[in-house]
Amino acid sequence: MSDEVRDDLKYTDTHEWLNLKGDTAIIGITDHAQTELTDIVFVELPEVGKEIKKGEELCVVESVKSVSEIYSPVSGKIVNVNEKLEDAPETVNEKPYDDGWLVELELKDKSEIDVLIDAESYKKSL
Amino acid sequence: MIDMVLKSPLNDIHNELGAKFTEFAGFEMPIQFSSIKNEHLTVRKSVGLFDVSHMSNVWITGKDAEKLVSLTTVEDASKIGDGKSQYTAILREDGTVIDDTIFMHLGEKYMMIPNAGMSDEVTKWLNDKAEEYGLHATAEDVSKDYAIIAIQGPKSREILQKLTDTDLKTVGFFGCQYADIAGVNCIISHTGYTGELGFELQITPSKMAKDIFRKILKAGKEFNIEPIGLGARDTLRLEKCFILAGNEFEGGKTPLEALMSWTINWDHDFIGKDALLKQKEQGDYQRLTYMECIGKGIPRHDCKVQKDGKEVGVVTSGTISPCLNKGIAMAYVDPDYREKDTILEIIVRNKSVKAKVVKPPFVKKDWAQQN
Repeated sequence: MSDEVRDDLKYTDTHEWLNLKGDTAIIGITDHAQTELTDIVFVELPEVGKEIKKGEELCVVESVKSVSEIYSPVSGKIVNVNEKLEDAPETVNEKPYDDGWLVELELKDKSEIDVLIDAESYKKSL
Repeated sequence: MIDMVLKSPLNDIHNELGAKFTEFAGFEMPIQFSSIKNEHLTVRKSVGLFDVSHMSNVWITGKDAEKLVSLTTVEDASKIGDGKSQYTAILREDGTVIDDTIFMHLGEKYMMIPNAGMSDEVTKWLNDKAEEYGLHATAEDVSKDYAIIAIQGPKSREILQKLTDTDLKTVGFFGCQYADIAGVNCIISHTGYTGELGFELQITPSKMAKDIFRKILKAGKEFNIEPIGLGARDTLRLEKCFILAGNEFEGGKTPLEALMSWTINWDHDFIGKDALLKQKEQGDYQRLTYMECIGKGIPRHDCKVQKDGKEVGVVTSGTISPCLNKGIAMAYVDPDYREKDTILEIIVRNKSVKAKVVKPPFVKKDWAQQN
């Protein structure tokens, strides 16, 4: 069974996806990442309004046995978080590219998106 | 130095079954097959099959074997008859636990099952003490000769019964004996680490274990048996408040601190007894405490425990309980703060998560019937 990679998204080699919409980006983890993590049981989200630099901890995703920090692939301000994950963290497993998104971020430095990889390159890296 | 990772005799099968691996106490072992949650619930509700060959096997023989076991454990071995096994602890002179273990009384001999990676230390300790106390007994590490399989869950007996002529109903709780399982003579014991009905098989030569493992999986098909990794093994034991040596004895703990008093037979002399008596008299020591989270968050090993901002303990084992879907933790807590229903705070990544002190176990015996 191969992991789903969506053509219309940007990726990082650390298995995050970004849906770029003008000045903001919705960020989540890829199908491959959720498969590796298995059974996501807790997601700790940042507060809306928080400023985050590229490489800083964005949120924490916990499975039964593991705690995984997700580091922000870009700098910006958190404008929205997926509050539904507080009661239904398993949504990240079930729909990693849709209802399982993590945060929406207002981009601070658009040049940071240049280093993101496209679906084709991400697929090859798996 | 070359860092050698040992492999279980069942490693090939785990690969075939699609296991994800982890290193534990120097062994490459499966951490999960399908998913920890799924494997966990399968054991509680039906049946699961574990490879626990990373555990150790030590034969204790000689005319003073019984005396050596009594001297080096908190149990009086003369009270444990032939065909019975016992959960116990091996202590240093200062009362701290070297290892918790099961020993099985099999005729003239005893087989001890120390934890993974503990066989060298335990074997040496036993032989040193035999010499020091002038006992005619020898401990021999035979871990490499044995594979160990555990079948656990409400359907375990029914499945295993298909593969043996020995009436398993006659093997009582903590009973142990030789029996032919799938045509191989094994040591079978009615023991386990899940809190469910279950059996453990000590198999030698270890290469015979593959065939038995496969036959059990086949015989268990009608009950949807699944192979279970160390991940679920850990959550299963934690829900039942069973100790994991590497976590709960870390840094040197006594059986009184670890709430293992029930295993101590005070009517015999054993190494560490004087220290325990002294500690018992003093009374003012942290004890293992069981906590269920009220707030959201998952306690983990090393999380601090506080009461109104004051540090009163530390978590040794924590997880989310797959059965209860809540954070649960075992922690060493100051004696004044461990009464049932006391509300404490567990510090998870700088955030305080409220937790309530509860009586063990977290998951009661009838959970599967009610869910």
